[in-house]
Amino acid sequence: MTWADSLRTAWAGMWSSKLRALLTMLGVIIGVAAVITLVAIGNGASQAVASRIETLGTNVLFVTPGPGTPFTTRQVAYIRDNTPVARVVVPLLNSGGQLSVGTSTLSALVVGTTPGYQALGAIHLAAGRFLAPADLALNRDAVVLGANVSQALFGGGNPVGAHVSLLGQRFTVVGVLQPVGQGPGTSQDNSVFIPLPVAQFLLSTQKLSAVLVGASSPLAASQAQDLLTNLYTNRFGSASSVTVASEDQVLATLSATRATFTNLLAGTALISLVVGGIGIMNIMLVSVTERTREIGVRRAVGAVPEDVVLQFLLEAMVLSLTGGALGVGAGLVMVRLAPVFLKTPAVFTPSAVVLAFVFSTLVGLVFGLYPAVKASRLHPIDALRHSG
Amino acid sequence: MIRVERLVKDYPMAGGTVRALHDVSFEIPTGSLAAIMGQSGSGKTTLLNLLAGLDGPTSGRYWLNGRDVSGFGVVDWSRERNRTIGFVFQAFNLLPTLSALGNVELPLVYRRVPPRQRRERAQAVLEAMGLAHRAHHRPTELSGGQQQRVAIARALVGDPPLLLADEPTGNLDAETGDEILNLLAALNGQGRTIVIVTHSPEVAARCRMVLQMRDGRLLPTAGGVGA
Repeated sequence: MTWADSLRTAWAGMWSSKLRALLTMLGVIIGVAAVITLVAIGNGASQAVASRIETLGTNVLFVTPGPGTPFTTRQVAYIRDNTPVARVVVPLLNSGGQLSVGTSTLSALVVGTTPGYQALGAIHLAAGRFLAPADLALNRDAVVLGANVSQALFGGGNPVGAHVSLLGQRFTVVGVLQPVGQGPGTSQDNSVFIPLPVAQFLLSTQKLSAVLVGASSPLAASQAQDLLTNLYTNRFGSASSVTVASEDQVLATLSATRATFTNLLAGTALISLVVGGIGIMNIMLVSVTERTREIGVRRAVGAVPEDVVLQFLLEAMVLSLTGGALGVGAGLVMVRLAPVFLKTPAVFTPSAVVLAFVFSTLVGLVFGLYPAVKASRLHPIDALRHSG
Repeated sequence: MIRVERLVKDYPMAGGTVRALHDVSFEIPTGSLAAIMGQSGSGKTTLLNLLAGLDGPTSGRYWLNGRDVSGFGVVDWSRERNRTIGFVFQAFNLLPTLSALGNVELPLVYRRVPPRQRRERAQAVLEAMGLAHRAHHRPTELSGGQQQRVAIARALVGDPPLLLADEPTGNLDAETGDEILNLLAALNGQGRTIVIVTHSPEVAARCRMVLQMRDGRLLPTAGGVGA
């Protein structure tokens, strides 16, 4: 018997009992669809992390004081003087705060900073302007709203010129930012920006949360990182008193965690594929028993044991590969639907399809082999005598 | 065509072996229409299985079509059955998922005949059996007599010199059974060697040579080697 004949026989066998074939394949279908969907969701999350890196740029360093380290506005000038490769040096004072307009209130991340923040390249205005030098010089109570904050307090309307209450003070909205998108932690969308001196006054502190150092290239950022790390280690006598790290370094750790998570999801999905394979083996064993007489007839008219192995093995492969193909289809649909129903980004990768196909082929081979060999070992006489 | 010498077959059973065949020797010349006759348990089916190579003898020798096939293995026998032996069963044994044509093609599939050629050949044999109009029907859509004629077509499609029929009329009414026997006689008239295993004296009476079995032995009576 040729391969083409065996394949035709296998296909005809599956087609003659469609419902049963479908139920048998269900495990593989679900497994493959799960692999594709979960890998896509995992990738979606990783890309969300990546897009967050983009919001501040990979060339930005975070200089963050450790607990107890005196770190005031003077550090801005200190860093600027000692880091010639720095393009921009921007102080940050972060705090949580309640915003209210009329009766609606909202907690947001309050960021006290300078107009230089805009030069880091992460600010995209939807309306109005960012903080201006005059706002700082005159200690104006001006505020720039993140997209979510604006949406929550003012709906779709343009809030520029409106007043909000923040940290017990009445602020005037001077600008609104465009949405950045999803990401871990509190993103820029949930932040509001006010002049640094105003923030320090209202919070009664001279300290800074961090200083951002923008370099013009990854190499310059790396040089600045080394320089600043040495500088602060010498100055405070400890490497942990001030941390100098780029945002992507911080987020790389986060990405690694995400990758582990994705692998875990894919692993779980692969287990369901194996379970699907066991389902195929089960049905193939039933099929061998049911078709004992057929095996006897085939042997009587000249089939050698290898013909019988090939026939049943190909039948298992046809089941698992058809299941795999249907699973890929189902997976693609789910990748489309995941962002709509689960509110998570899902990014389809062709390699997941390859992975799923390789595994469903393996599943068919591994779990089809035992029933096929069992079929080929049936004694033709017993097989012919078998009733049914 | 068939020559066996001192064929012995033992079956292992709980509490010892059971001898199903005792030193059976005979010869069936080419072109014979022979019956192997006996009651159930006489060893006639065991003998048929040995003649078809579906089972191996415990001892003894066997020449088929002039060749010593005593030492044949599983694969040798598969090839031999495919080329030399056509099978007809009591229960027809057609594959329910295949059409009449598909069933008839089967031996040629294992002979690796290309699809177009084997389809033509199978169609021709079905036509000769008067079943051309039933070629695309499933076995369940055919009468018993038609099913047996499809089975005979399957046995003939590879043009084997020997036809082994195991109670070919056992599942048919008298009239249809007669038709099948006429068909087998006609095929014998064309020069094919035919061996029919039966318990029925009426069927045996149609054969020119009758081998009578009882308790695993061949009786040297009842017609003996005629022809």
